[in-house]
Amino acid sequence: MTEQVLYVGLPYVAIVLFIGGTAWRYAAQRYSISSLSSQFLEDRWLGVGSLPWHLGILVVLAGHLVAFAFPTVWRSVLSVPVFLHTVEIVGLAAAVACALGIGTLLVRRVLRGRLQPVTTWLDYLVLVLLLAEVSLGILTATAHRWGALWSTGTIMPFVKSLLTLQPKLELVSELPPLARAHLVVAFVLFGIAPFTRLIHAVFVPLQYLFRAPQRVVWSSERRKQAVDAEPGGDPDLARRHLIEGVVGATAAAALLGVGVADKVAGYFVQPALTKVDKKNLLTERHLRVMMTAEERALELERLSNDFILISPYSELSKKNGRYFIDYEMRPALAFLGDDGIPIVLSAKCTHLGCTVGKDVDDQGRILCPCHVSHFDVRSGHPNQSAPAKAPLPKLPWAARDAAGKVVGAMGIDGKYVGSRDTALLSRCNVYAAKSALTEVT
Amino acid sequence: MPKGIVANVLGFLAERFPIEKADFHSMVTKKTVPVHRMSWAYYAGGLTLFFFLIQVVTGLMLLFYYQPTVSDAHASVEYITRHVPGGALVRNMHAWSSSCMIFCVLIHFVTTLAMKAFGRPRELTWISGVLLLLVTFVFGFTGYLLPWHQIAVNATKVGLQSIELVGAYLPGELAKLPTTVRETIQGEAAVGQSTLSRFYALHVIILPLLVFGVLGIHLFSVQLHGMSPGVDSAPKRVEKFLPFFVIKDLGAWGVAFLVLFTAALLVPFESFFSFPLFAPYDALGSTPEGIKPEWYFYFVYYPLELLPFWSVALGQTVVMGVIFAAPWLFKHSSRRTTAVLASFIAVYMVGMTLFGHAIYEFFKGGQG
Repeated sequence: MTEQVLYVGLPYVAIVLFIGGTAWRYAAQRYSISSLSSQFLEDRWLGVGSLPWHLGILVVLAGHLVAFAFPTVWRSVLSVPVFLHTVEIVGLAAAVACALGIGTLLVRRVLRGRLQPVTTWLDYLVLVLLLAEVSLGILTATAHRWGALWSTGTIMPFVKSLLTLQPKLELVSELPPLARAHLVVAFVLFGIAPFTRLIHAVFVPLQYLFRAPQRVVWSSERRKQAVDAEPGGDPDLARRHLIEGVVGATAAAALLGVGVADKVAGYFVQPALTKVDKKNLLTERHLRVMMTAEERALELERLSNDFILISPYSELSKKNGRYFIDYEMRPALAFLGDDGIPIVLSAKCTHLGCTVGKDVDDQGRILCPCHVSHFDVRSGHPNQSAPAKAPLPKLPWAARDAAGKVVGAMGIDGKYVGSRDTALLSRCNVYAAKSALTEVT
Repeated sequence: MPKGIVANVLGFLAERFPIEKADFHSMVTKKTVPVHRMSWAYYAGGLTLFFFLIQVVTGLMLLFYYQPTVSDAHASVEYITRHVPGGALVRNMHAWSSSCMIFCVLIHFVTTLAMKAFGRPRELTWISGVLLLLVTFVFGFTGYLLPWHQIAVNATKVGLQSIELVGAYLPGELAKLPTTVRETIQGEAAVGQSTLSRFYALHVIILPLLVFGVLGIHLFSVQLHGMSPGVDSAPKRVEKFLPFFVIKDLGAWGVAFLVLFTAALLVPFESFFSFPLFAPYDALGSTPEGIKPEWYFYFVYYPLELLPFWSVALGQTVVMGVIFAAPWLFKHSSRRTTAVLASFIAVYMVGMTLFGHAIYEFFKGGQG
């Protein structure tokens, strides 16, 4: 009997009241259709309560509506676990936002004295019922998991059966008590809606979205702050601003500090390397030290020797220069000339000192990559439009046979003295010569 | 008339450093900041200081691992990037923040010029500021060498070599002076260990000490004299420095930090260069392609590439002279004049930085 009253009688009474009441309200008291905003009386708590409540309830209602309208589609979609989890989490989060919001609004009505004169007992009733409804929903959702899924087979068909005037009570009797209570409170809310401020949910002023904007200027916060920031401004406000600023800055610094510490905390700790990493690291470092050692050795050699080996004559090429380090510890290049006499010249670009490339192009030139100067290998001269103006200096060199005898040599004057017999030369090594000694031959 | 000169100098200094005003009340509590169209420019100096502080902190952190020798420098930087927890972040922050600092100091420079912030008695604030600007550039130049990779050493070589170009315009024995200067800076005939040691000393000790000193004078005089009005007609409104401006300034610092931190977490600064440029410097190999200075040297680098050296050198000297003498040269100019001048500088800097390469290609691309 009770079941029939609660789940058949009550819903039909609610539906009749809802439809009839709304029609009556629209006809008789059209201008009372409003949410009765109390924003002028109190706006801080309102913002904290109203926003989460409305945003949350829109999401929650949308979820209920989809499950009611398309139960089959919804069920098949929810059979994907990830989607089910997402829906449940989003729904629960929205419901919690609703509960916090409506709770805030309730507390606001109770604690803010200014509001009391404009608050009717119906307002309290609506707030309490909404809070109860949302709480019951949350409890149902957490106590009986996956409500998004199971409701499509129980509650939704029941509501549908009500609307088709063939109420199926057996669907309700299997429901857990929490869900049943959720239903009952929902019916009550429906029934009283036309007689309370809840009516505003039916008459959503959607035209506001499309009409020309209207601006109501009450008092601009920015304007007020700007005035208060002037030297003559309220000293109390300045003090408060300072305190707020210090607190804010401290909090921000603390938050930033946590974030930074998370990334940088390990910086001063000895990094833990794997054996492979360690090995690679040491190999690399060893290599670099060896390179430096090699450079030092070259320097020492240049200080003490009159000749520095560039390469065996036979390894010199016309197209591909051979790098070596000259007496000034600068890079230099050796080529084989067309006449079989080696060409030895500095590879330090005369423009800004980059190292010139070693590959000879079709026009017999080598390129400095820094500012694109092409140098002729035979003369050392740069091309006309190159940023480099001076030619690459020719360097003195000597070809010596196995016994160390100088077979041919080029002086600083650029004159070659000695044998032009390539067969003889090919048994020689080519050396860079300390300039003063080239006259020896 | 030495007595008169001494009295003049003392009088000049007394007006620039009114010690009787050097108390907390005048320098902080009573200070106001004008509110007008250009108010945003008042944040540029503070942001520069902020990025400098970031440089100090991250720089000190890098010192824990960095080894300034030709054989170990590159390896130690790589070690920081690859193995030290948060090392890549710290290095990125140091690199990004250096660019941010230069960017802010340039904004600060251009806006203070536009607002004629050097009017009496703020001449020495301006001079100290110009010195700081130059020091900041030297910071950038010396820091660029320290990782000892290809682009670092080769760009340093190119940069130092341009000193020598002056020699061609000097008569007789003087012609050798630039070479001597270059070798003195380098510490040896070629860029090597001595150069690294010297740049390291400059970057890590000498320049920071210099900055602390000059910056002290700069900030002290800013607080002593208060903000320059910045507009010709007296500003309609002002706001108190403490707490209103300070808190807004701190807010700007917070935003700057978030942006910098996020950028440093997500974008390695090397990602804009091709890899071979970051290989360890090889004294015996050839120079890889794409050697360029940092973006903030483009405004002098591309003119050097395009124009005859003497014109660039002359232009630079004139510009530096005008900048240093600005408080006296523009004594009677309106802010409209200095603003137009500042706009020209800004357009030139932005144009050369963004389109320098395109301009270079346009004039030189077809040749060679």
